[in-house]
Amino acid sequence: MDQHIKLEIKLPKVTDIELVALEGLELMGRHLGIPEDKIGEARILVTEGIINALEHSGSDIPYVNVDFTMTKEKLVILITDYGQGFEPETVEEPDISGKIGGDNKRGWGLKLMKSMSDDFKIESSQNGTRITITKKLS
Amino acid sequence: MVLDFELTSELVNDVLVIKTEGYINNAGGERIAKEFEKYLNQGITKVLIDIEKSKVVNSIGISFLIEIIEQLNERGGKLYFTNLDPSIEKTFEIMGLFQFAEKVDSVEDIK
Repeated sequence: MDQHIKLEIKLPKVTDIELVALEGLELMGRHLGIPEDKIGEARILVTEGIINALEHSGSDIPYVNVDFTMTKEKLVILITDYGQGFEPETVEEPDISGKIGGDNKRGWGLKLMKSMSDDFKIESSQNGTRITITKKLS
Repeated sequence: MVLDFELTSELVNDVLVIKTEGYINNAGGERIAKEFEKYLNQGITKVLIDIEKSKVVNSIGISFLIEIIEQLNERGGKLYFTNLDPSIEKTFEIMGLFQFAEKVDSVEDIK
């Protein structure tokens, strides 16, 4: 049976706290011998997922939960915030031509997570948002 | 993992070369944009960002690079990147940055 390792962390809303999760991700990847290019892409997914969640986590419960489940074949990232939620279908797809010359250069997180993952799911309600990202590692 | 962000800059002929080290987040992106602005009134139109020592970026940091692309575009200039980590290169591709910026092997490749 494939080795399966898990990491569960609760991250407070602190500048650059996503680096703590990245450290765990890299240690897990090294332990399982995951190629550096796959870990590099997972780094982008984790970073975008966490900064997005922290930005929307609200002030009442200002932390997010991050769970990684990794095997040699795949990584499943679960990121949960307890903010007011949002309607993913109303988020406009960013486009570089529109961003250049526009006032708002941000708003790339969802596009990056969808494009770089193998599966991406958002569940959002007024009690918070949970995103599930699956990334193949082999 | 490098936590502190550092950068150096120098002019190589008519190209402003900025080398970064560490996480290109909000603060890192802002530092790059401010460094670029220092040279703006010198008529610089070509900027090369060497991010060999930056293995982690986020989209907020990259939004500052889009601002640099915008300002260079207005002056008929261009932003170049070198020593991109494959995951960062893929990130830039997804965002469409290479429609306006270019990847080069070294400063000598910039005409």
